[in-house]
Amino acid sequence: MPGQFEKSNNKDDNDDDVDLKNSTNAVDSDLDEDEVHQDWSQVAKLTKKALKAKLPKRGEKEYEPDGTEIQDAMLVNARKAMYDTLFNSIRGSMLKNQVKAFYIPDRHVAIIPHPKGNFLQTIGRVDKTGICYLNFLEFLYLAERGTVTPFLCNDLNDITNGNEYQLSIQEIYSFFKSQNEMDNFQVYAHLKRLGFIVFPSNSFESGKTTFYPPTSIFKKYFAPSLFKSFYLRIGLIFSKYFNSIANDIFYSTSNFHYMKYLNSISIYKSLNKLIPYHKVPKSKLELLDQKFTIDQLTTTNREFELSFDVWKPQVNFKKKCPNLPDFQIVVYNKNDGSQHFPTYHDCQSIFNQLDYKFGFVQGKDDFDWDSHSYTDEKLRAEYLSSLKSKAKQSNASINTKVEGKKKKRKINSFPPHVQQKMRLKNGYRSFLLAVIDDGIISFTRMTESDFGSENVWYNPTNSKTKRPTRKK
Amino acid sequence: MAKGRPNSKRYKYPLPIHPIDDLPQLYPHNPISWIYWTYCYVKKVNALERKIKVELTGKKYVHILVKDNNDMLYLWENGFFGTGQFSRSEPTWLNRATNRLLPNDEDKKNQVALEKVTQIRRSQRAEFKKEREKMEAQLLELRKQGCTAEEEQEFIEKERETLRELRSKELLLSSIDNELKFRYEDNELFDDMGNIIQLESLELLPVEAIFLTFALPVLEIETDHLFRRLAGDPKNVNYKDIYGLIKKYVAYHHYRSHGWCVRSGIKFGCDYILYQRGPPFHHAEFCVMVLDSEEKHDYTWFSSIARVVGGVKKTFVLCYIERLISEQDILKLWRNGQYHKVFSSFKTSEIIYKRWISGKNRD
Repeated sequence: MPGQFEKSNNKDDNDDDVDLKNSTNAVDSDLDEDEVHQDWSQVAKLTKKALKAKLPKRGEKEYEPDGTEIQDAMLVNARKAMYDTLFNSIRGSMLKNQVKAFYIPDRHVAIIPHPKGNFLQTIGRVDKTGICYLNFLEFLYLAERGTVTPFLCNDLNDITNGNEYQLSIQEIYSFFKSQNEMDNFQVYAHLKRLGFIVFPSNSFESGKTTFYPPTSIFKKYFAPSLFKSFYLRIGLIFSKYFNSIANDIFYSTSNFHYMKYLNSISIYKSLNKLIPYHKVPKSKLELLDQKFTIDQLTTTNREFELSFDVWKPQVNFKKKCPNLPDFQIVVYNKNDGSQHFPTYHDCQSIFNQLDYKFGFVQGKDDFDWDSHSYTDEKLRAEYLSSLKSKAKQSNASINTKVEGKKKKRKINSFPPHVQQKMRLKNGYRSFLLAVIDDGIISFTRMTESDFGSENVWYNPTNSKTKRPTRKK
Repeated sequence: MAKGRPNSKRYKYPLPIHPIDDLPQLYPHNPISWIYWTYCYVKKVNALERKIKVELTGKKYVHILVKDNNDMLYLWENGFFGTGQFSRSEPTWLNRATNRLLPNDEDKKNQVALEKVTQIRRSQRAEFKKEREKMEAQLLELRKQGCTAEEEQEFIEKERETLRELRSKELLLSSIDNELKFRYEDNELFDDMGNIIQLESLELLPVEAIFLTFALPVLEIETDHLFRRLAGDPKNVNYKDIYGLIKKYVAYHHYRSHGWCVRSGIKFGCDYILYQRGPPFHHAEFCVMVLDSEEKHDYTWFSSIARVVGGVKKTFVLCYIERLISEQDILKLWRNGQYHKVFSSFKTSEIIYKRWISGKNRD
């Protein structure tokens, strides 16, 4: 990495300066015994590390044939292993295990009269009579994988009569209603193949879990604390006027002759009154505030709708009433003349539609999403315990169960300036944009960030605790 | 690397207007110290004793140049403003020339220009690669002769060890060799006293010049005059003429005023890059593209920039500027010279654009 070396050198030098200063300070000032003793083991470690030169990394792409037989043999072996595996595995499905799915053209869905199989955990919807309904995307996906055998069903009686017409994959593709639906299928199938759990965003009428409490609960528990923020908002309007007066003074020609600034921070503070910035919701309360008060005032354009809710791969997924999704996806076809890449206002309206696991609100270690989300107008934790079945959905993804895997470090355990950097880089609400270009999908994550609420100036007077934390 | 002054001293102040930080000690029980303190407080001002001279050249494309050697250094050391015309960013040409032509000049000797450091590093890297290639060729030869896997492993181990030694040696010997090369045309660089003439000047971006005139009175130029040169006569401008400048400046001021060191992002295909504190201290971690809130671009536009920005391990920030009052009102304020009201009529907001890789986000 060009640049790395020189910078790190520079920084090291700087650190040395600081260290030297500190050590002399310690000796000069109060001669506490604890401070005078030095831990040489740490220093030894440092010098060892510095002496051992690191070899520069090489790129991954080095497949040039070197003309030796060894390389050829390795390649042949690898290929053979692949072909053998493919050749020797059994193709087709056992008649006993065959699952028949019937496509109903009128309703653009498919039904499975006798559903069985693992896929049912994350796909389809079973009604009271035991029939499983698949939406079209699910139907095609399963048919493509060979999990279900697709049939056409013009009349429900056909199923019982045994009057069946088996569909080819090509025929199923001809049932697509629009290009948009086909784009959606691509995204759906891509994510499903990777193991994600995907449902169309509007597919839950009952049993939908939401981050936002129902109005009754909101009024009872959250509105009072928001009332305070109502006063804050009035305060904001006033502070706008104060700001404009302060600006009048600061940007007058003789400002620095009669105003006294005793440190650089006060100069910065006067400077940053000039440009107003968009404050993004950063906590649960601010999100609710946005939803219930601000959202109602502004009419949002709904040009972009969320297409899919996505959950990371996990066991015990409860498809009847799933928890909050991990991601939400908007699909956009870049070659469709009637669509365009979301503008700023489009993004804002998408942000306001979002309802997923807002990662940034979970500050504490033991943040339980069940007690911060609502299902059927009830707190989700209550809802789950009211369900007879004890099949409580475990939030754990498979991977947290794998032992020995490094656990993610908690954000709180980082020093404040690192936390600040993480806040700026990770941002707040976000959605995924799946961009389709003739069959190729590219995902982009769009995230709200807020540079206006973070100050990174360097404070020369106390360089130890230099970076102020977030303004409240 | 030898150094003249530690960075913490050299870049003590983040802005060219210094705070009053040398007030005498105040002793609460000693009234004289109170009087003395008050006297100092009243007497001292933040404003610069002598503003910095600038030259504006060019009609359509204005160049804003600072020519005095000390002024150039002052602007660089107090907030990293401007770019030396013959240098990467800090105006180091004079130092480099002195080091090259007058290597015995002790004052200047221990200041190593960053350009030089890069040059040394690159030649070292080339040397290293050459050595590595040699070893690879030997390995291939060995393979062709049909060596066993153990032998090969042994050789690779040996190769690594040799390369590591080479690398450590390089790091130890990375001192600067002063090759004395005197060219005929170098004669013209000297004045009558035998000193080298400063040929370099510091060029400021228009937004930097606005910041140093309108926000902080540092440059010796009238704000009205500067805007007239940059955007045309305020009497006959229309909104389109001034909007580009306003958009850029609003974003610049926004990031500057929250403590960032903002420099041009042209090398990364965007408008600005943001340093925390400054280039000698950290790599820039953010690349900013300034957009109007109504602006539309196609996906390729976004993804091209994002790939460049991602390639240098930075975060791509879309900074949207939203107008809060009508164009007519902006024009009226502009003509009245109420620039701070113009700039505060625009609101900023940020969206971070990042590629998302499905396979890497499953747990």
